[in-house]
Amino acid sequence: MNSQQSRRRFLQTTTAGGVLSATLPSFLAATLQQLQADTEGRAVQATAGHDAPILVVLQLAGGNDGLNTVVPFANDHYRKARPKLGLDSDKVLKLSDELGLHPALTGFKSLYDAGQLAVLQGVGYPNPNRSHFRSTDIWMTASDSDRFSNRGWIGRYFDHACAGADPTVGIAIGRQSPLAFSAQHPTGIALENPDAYHAAADELEESDSMAMMSSGKGKPGRKPGVSEGPAGIGNPSGTGGSVEQLSGGRVESGNVLDFLERTAHDARSSSEQIRSVSARVKNLAEYPAGKLANDLKLVSRLIAGGLNTRVYYVSQGGFDTHQGQAGTHPRLLTELGESMKAFLADLKALGQLDRVVVLTFSEFGRRVSENASGGTDHGAAAPLFLCGGRVKPGVVGRHPSLAPGDLINGDIAFHTDFRSVYATLLERWLKTESAPILGRSFPPMEFI
Amino acid sequence: MLAPISSSRWGFSAAAHLLNRAGFGGTPAEIDSLARLSASEAVDRILTPPPKEDPDPLPPPDWARPDPDRPQKLKEFREATPEVRRELTKARQKLERAQILELQSWWIRRMTQGNPAHAHREKLTLFWHGHFATSFQKVRDAYLMWRQNDLFRRLGGGDWTTLLGEVTRDPAMLIWLDQAQSKPEHPNENFARELMELFTLGEGNYSESDVLAAARALTGLTLDRLKQEPVYRARLHDNSPTTLFGDTGRHGVDDVLRLIVARPQASMFITARLWKFFAGTEPSPELASELAAEFERCGRAFTPFLRTLFLSEAFHAPDVVRHQIKSPVQLLVMACRQLERELPPAPATFTVLRMLGQELFNPPNVKGWEGGVAWINTNTLLTRHNLALFLTTGENPLPVLARNGNAKAAAKTQPQARAARMQRRTSTTPVNPQRLFAESEFQSADTLLNAAERRLLNSPFNPRDRAALKSHLKSDDLRDTASLLELLRLALCTAEYQLA
Repeated sequence: MNSQQSRRRFLQTTTAGGVLSATLPSFLAATLQQLQADTEGRAVQATAGHDAPILVVLQLAGGNDGLNTVVPFANDHYRKARPKLGLDSDKVLKLSDELGLHPALTGFKSLYDAGQLAVLQGVGYPNPNRSHFRSTDIWMTASDSDRFSNRGWIGRYFDHACAGADPTVGIAIGRQSPLAFSAQHPTGIALENPDAYHAAADELEESDSMAMMSSGKGKPGRKPGVSEGPAGIGNPSGTGGSVEQLSGGRVESGNVLDFLERTAHDARSSSEQIRSVSARVKNLAEYPAGKLANDLKLVSRLIAGGLNTRVYYVSQGGFDTHQGQAGTHPRLLTELGESMKAFLADLKALGQLDRVVVLTFSEFGRRVSENASGGTDHGAAAPLFLCGGRVKPGVVGRHPSLAPGDLINGDIAFHTDFRSVYATLLERWLKTESAPILGRSFPPMEFI
Repeated sequence: MLAPISSSRWGFSAAAHLLNRAGFGGTPAEIDSLARLSASEAVDRILTPPPKEDPDPLPPPDWARPDPDRPQKLKEFREATPEVRRELTKARQKLERAQILELQSWWIRRMTQGNPAHAHREKLTLFWHGHFATSFQKVRDAYLMWRQNDLFRRLGGGDWTTLLGEVTRDPAMLIWLDQAQSKPEHPNENFARELMELFTLGEGNYSESDVLAAARALTGLTLDRLKQEPVYRARLHDNSPTTLFGDTGRHGVDDVLRLIVARPQASMFITARLWKFFAGTEPSPELASELAAEFERCGRAFTPFLRTLFLSEAFHAPDVVRHQIKSPVQLLVMACRQLERELPPAPATFTVLRMLGQELFNPPNVKGWEGGVAWINTNTLLTRHNLALFLTTGENPLPVLARNGNAKAAAKTQPQARAARMQRRTSTTPVNPQRLFAESEFQSADTLLNAAERRLLNSPFNPRDRAALKSHLKSDDLRDTASLLELLRLALCTAEYQLA
């Protein structure tokens, strides 16, 4: 679908929504009317196009043990700190004489060998926080560790570079919308299962009005988005108060009813698009079983289906390995590597590989020394990965020192600020200025 | 701010607000009966512990007790061949899944049935479940999950230090945050950290060395896996002196809790959490101080503190009333109470709750559910709209509403009996809409809408929604079932209905 087609398709859904509104609760009708001005902007959005670059962000939730992911197998300090969990040099998948991937990461190793994987070492931020929640928020908002923000870095990218875009500008796979997406508007959509992503009771009216539109019997000449709903539609005010007062506090402006109505509108206007794309496009690679693979499978179909989405968000949980890490961690890394390998193969077969970059991140690495329950506690800096057809393959940066004197409270010190990674992706991949989004300039890196 | 509201402000709306927040709402008749009391009497009625029912109308599942055969079973498992072990594990996992569904079902039925005092006790239990958020995913033992739930129900209105002590020794918690695995030579920090960060003080109100000191002091506390009881093993305790919040000594479990609860931030923290849960907003700094002071005045006991809270001007303020986004559990339970209908079949109920982001006994992580606007996104809002159809008409709108696939698909591929069984599991009884309205309320479309808003919002529809809803009523036949169900469905889809 080219941008012309996607634009027409969007207008069609909007107008269909307008017709629909006669049978819908009027909150939708009112929202449609309010959004009329936006619609003009949306129709000429600059972000359209089926060859525009796409970023997929993959969160490894719980704090991935970076030290056992990209392993300095020859290092004496490593062996001493990890008497039980340490990985042997004959087991790791060697990247060099000193560095190897966890034996379970055969998927990543084959991507590395195919020139589709970059490893960035020693990534973190000053004054690291060891709370899962606080540190996740720091990564998601790209704020300094002593500053709080309720806007996500991707949300600020939407605000800055995609104003007026469709709600599908960002798609988070899952039940939750991540803080990283939090923006003024658009904030992206959350999507768990495309088959469930519709409001069933309105199907009949919806298909009727769609048919009317395509047969030209609709409401010719009517301005898109103008509702013919009940008269007397005003601005929603009602009981709404400031949303900042509400727990969560993720919505910057407007009251809670505005937020609910806008979300309802985004849901209705994206639902048909999502369902039809997901059903129309077929995956062309074999994926392993599991939630991550399923989520990536869906992302792949949505990408190939030509949505205007710029950022997809996916997450894999379970990395908080305080105990029994020798069992859990390999299982997680196998799932990660194999799913990613399938995803990239699928994108390649679908002709989409060169427009996609995947960024992995985790809120922190884990402590250098293992604990006595066969696990590791919360730590600090860690490596992260970038995959895709256009990344510069290889290892970027040195492995941080494990000498006890170089550790900070027993944790690995960072040498690369994660916001340099974001800045590089914004500037060189998404082609937008990074400083307005990240609050200041961070030195770009060489991985793209 | 915490002064009691004046009697002139007490009435239907205030009683509805109290019932919604302290419990799970109710019918207009239930609201009226509270409104006829004074505010103080109404709050007392809600907070008075229900008399020990004999027998409990909803007794816990019969497996909710220590299994006397457990040692024997564990022994058999240990001695079995790998193939037999695999079979045993499979059977156990199947049983666990069935039990957790039974447990979820048992709890949500407790929320849906009973008087306002019962409802409040379950609401407070839900608060503690979200606060000490423990997941079945890791604990993998329905009995232990029930036991923790029962602990919250028994002690949730009592004394803070007592509750904290019991939670610290709770077997499900010992497993969930790895205290059961902690050893003196390198203590596990998981419980010590979350104890301070999420349960008692809040991030920023302790240092990394406090976390380590507490982890050391807590060593020795572990789980007897055979008896499924907490146990203190002196040989696992690090008895060297630790310094916790500047206090140096040979600390044990109770010293850690005592020192934490005495921190000035402790009372601020837990009362702000309670405020956020029941009032739906973050307290202002002034209110937060008042709440903490009141909690101290109440001897750090929850029921007397909640009495002040529920009666307070601040709790009945205009920016609190009808400003809270309903949690999925609140939405579902409240709708069933308001529509005077039973809960849908368990598989459909829990699939919906999962899709809406709140699966009981399976919080997303140790921080619990974030709540507020985080409940709402495009995905969950569409599901809320589909739930509205499901609850009113009884039609299962989506195949995924049942874990086991949908009835129509089953009918194509399955023998008839199986398809019919599936149909029963995935659909539910429709609401009887005529029964919800009195004879006089069918007088005109307007009297009918007045009754609907009183029942569903406890306050007026906004004019837009009212006009839209009115257009769905048959002016010549106000009793028409289909249009009444459509009225209820659409009312449940409004933005306003997402708030309580």
